[in-house]
Amino acid sequence: MSITELPPPSTTASLYERMSAGKKAEVVRELSDVIGARYVLYTPYDLMLYEYDASIDRSTPDVVVLPANTEEVAAIVKIAARHHVPVVPRGAGTGLSGGAIPIYGGIVIAFARMNRILEVDYDNLRAVVQPGLVNLHLSNALNPRGYYYVPDPSSQRSCTIGGNVGENAGGPHTLIYGVTTNHVLGVEIVTPEGNIVQIGGWTPDAPGYDLTGLLIGSEGTLCIVTKIITRIVHLAEDVKTMVAVFNTMDDASNTVSEIIASGVIPAAIEMMDQMILQAVEADTHAGYPLDAAAVLLMEAEGLRQSVEEQTATICAICDKHHARTVRVAANETERQLFWAGRKNAFGAVGRISPEFYVQDGVVPRTKLPYVLRRVSEICDSYGLRVGNVFHAGDGNLHPLILFDSQIPGEVERVRKAGHEILEVCAEVGGSITGEHGVGIEKQEEMALIFNETDLRIMQQVRGAWNPDQLFNPGKLFPMPGRCADMKQL
Amino acid sequence: MVEIEPFLASIKQLMPSLPITSEPDALQDYTIDGVLPRLVVKPDNKEQVAQVITLVSEHGLTVLARGGGSRMNLGGIPAQVDVVLETRQMTRLLEHEAPDLTCHVEAGITFAALQAHLATKGQWIALDPPDAEQATLGGILASNSSGPKRLRYGTARDIVIGLHVVQASGEIARSGGRVVKNVAGYDLNKLYIGSLGTLGIIVEANLKLQPLPPDERTLLLTFASAQEATQTVIALLGSLLTPSAIELIDAGAASDMSDFFGLNLPTEGSTLAVNFEGSPSSIDRSIDETRLIARKAGALMGDDLTGKEQAQLWQAVREHTRGTVTCKVAILVTQIAAYLETINRVCHDHRLEAAVIGHAGNGILYVELRPGDATPRLVGAIAELRRHAQEARGSLVVERCPVDLKGSINVWGEPGSDFYLMQRLKQQFDAQGTFVKGRFVGGL
Repeated sequence: MSITELPPPSTTASLYERMSAGKKAEVVRELSDVIGARYVLYTPYDLMLYEYDASIDRSTPDVVVLPANTEEVAAIVKIAARHHVPVVPRGAGTGLSGGAIPIYGGIVIAFARMNRILEVDYDNLRAVVQPGLVNLHLSNALNPRGYYYVPDPSSQRSCTIGGNVGENAGGPHTLIYGVTTNHVLGVEIVTPEGNIVQIGGWTPDAPGYDLTGLLIGSEGTLCIVTKIITRIVHLAEDVKTMVAVFNTMDDASNTVSEIIASGVIPAAIEMMDQMILQAVEADTHAGYPLDAAAVLLMEAEGLRQSVEEQTATICAICDKHHARTVRVAANETERQLFWAGRKNAFGAVGRISPEFYVQDGVVPRTKLPYVLRRVSEICDSYGLRVGNVFHAGDGNLHPLILFDSQIPGEVERVRKAGHEILEVCAEVGGSITGEHGVGIEKQEEMALIFNETDLRIMQQVRGAWNPDQLFNPGKLFPMPGRCADMKQL
Repeated sequence: MVEIEPFLASIKQLMPSLPITSEPDALQDYTIDGVLPRLVVKPDNKEQVAQVITLVSEHGLTVLARGGGSRMNLGGIPAQVDVVLETRQMTRLLEHEAPDLTCHVEAGITFAALQAHLATKGQWIALDPPDAEQATLGGILASNSSGPKRLRYGTARDIVIGLHVVQASGEIARSGGRVVKNVAGYDLNKLYIGSLGTLGIIVEANLKLQPLPPDERTLLLTFASAQEATQTVIALLGSLLTPSAIELIDAGAASDMSDFFGLNLPTEGSTLAVNFEGSPSSIDRSIDETRLIARKAGALMGDDLTGKEQAQLWQAVREHTRGTVTCKVAILVTQIAAYLETINRVCHDHRLEAAVIGHAGNGILYVELRPGDATPRLVGAIAELRRHAQEARGSLVVERCPVDLKGSINVWGEPGSDFYLMQRLKQQFDAQGTFVKGRFVGGL
């Protein structure tokens, strides 16, 4: 999706000058001494892979390092501090808001080698993992004993738990079970001074401030996480996956509201609109109807008895709101197929558009019908096509705006439409991001939901932890000058 | 000591209608660990709180927030307390967006009153802390109070979605928002929850709600040994069942509960109370399977409580966390039996008695030590118990104790290697020390 080379904002650019060739050579030499030359990348060819993530921004680091353990991370951070060079941690680069983009260059710490499960304690329901572990690999390791790790972002086949912690990632199944912050009890971190500190731990309610809670979702701006203590959960006895087909978006949205209001909280409620269905069908052949306005993919799980009751309630509510059909997956194969359609949706859209831009606003669930109408009106007004595939049960929208950066002015229109959509989310009392993070992409929009005081208090936290602003600088907060820069793109 | 009269004069002038208590007799009721505040103010809304804090800070005084007062003696002995700010006038439920399962409420409402409001629409805040009749929402959040059902629903950090907090400067800052999923900016809610008013004063909160469960039942199981009870807890956690609470009640606590609450609990061995919520059919099955699991570990009996009896049991369980000297211990679930043995041994060595009740599924034990006035023996016992808890990857906090004991121990334990990061936060949020110091970890 990378389309634009991002110039550093002029207002703060002087703080982080790109390294001179001489300084870079020195930094590379020091890093090589610590972690071995083969794990230090610095040629343009090697660096290219690290200049983008799954957002639409791009910027090349000066150096990429691949440490093997916490001590090496600490040593890297100390070298960076001595040379006043920014440090950006990177998992799998699947982030959607630019969190792993080194906008001022500097050192990217890639965690590909720190990808092990260190310990699993089934009796105490805990796992200890390294940040580079792929999300799904943890559940895969736990499944044979009947356990899993709950947060399941759609990118779970490639995204890392460290990245999930950085962004406080969610996923379809977080509706009842919560997001990353509800499943992480402690972390080991490296501070901007290069100290290794244990935060939280194996047991709950550690005395003192809940630093674990603060650090999760801090997008690499406060610390670098080198170890994670997570909760693990027993797999449910029974799972029923339902697909309901609707002729109007309003009927589908109202169904979501009523299910939530009825007291049934399913494990997941996902919505896909017509454009997405067509893309998904072309790609996955999951059997979704091509002429429907919207499909809800819903899941009930738990004890057999309660799943049966929930399924009956959900089906009745779908019928009441004029669902054309409601189908319960007959077996695990069919269930996996339904989910494959949903989880591959972003990829499938690649078949019908060269590029897309995804937003991540959240709205109160009862506001879904209104907000979805506004989303299509806004995109219409810019002459852009939009598809919606999202976590309806949480009110967490993912409008995918299709575009082609070869068309002059199109990128700018996409950004404006995205901004207007987030304005609508803010107006109805929602948030600008539910799980993708602020990153580079939504810095300006922070001002839609937080006033100057709110933002200053957050800056204060950054000041306390990261006084020299070397950890992932230029993210999260609105920056003067950014607007002008964006308009030049 | 900074003079209080200039402050009093300007607050009376600026806020003529603000209720102020300054008579020495009336102030006695607000004593915290023997420290007498100089004034009590009772603002009516968040703007008034902001005004008070602005003035307090301008005059270089200190302020301590107070809700229902049920947990004021949590933490170390406070340093100078100039002004107590009581939030109990701020009781409005600002919004209850029932179809969205969220609400927005002022912090001074008592928890019981708030739950009663929400129940009219079939919903509740899935938190069951002690003292709900007296404790306010703000106090519960500031002290991160929780109850047995945290096993299923988590704690305040899992339930709060937004906060309005008056800062040391008197500004009102918002964190989080109104929606159930939100990663915009730092998650400062987590920082304020449990910070005991050292970073700011919580004046309003947005909360996630749950539908009231259609039904609930509690199974009582008795075991000859703590070992068997712990085995059952581990087996339940590793089963398909999803209990809302698993409470362990030792013989000492069972005897108290029989004496004070009229409950007929076996006063030998260890009791487990296992609570299930949901539909009647899923509860039936859960209770049956729990009996089977418990029988394998040698359970002696299994009463099944509903209705009033059940409510009474859980009320007694919650209130039992509040003895004269009560330590809250967090350890690994698998270490519970061994830890209970440690408690017996330590108590024997120090000629003390213990009554233990615990959220066993979470590895949290409330250990009441008696007699509460045996200060020198208690000091030794607490130090030993803390060391053992830390060896089991846990912690021990003395949640309640008399002032003279408090003077001889560190109720939170020694701060860890992350303490300097906490100090930096406190420095950023409250450099001047407007919020009363001395009570929180490391004297923050």
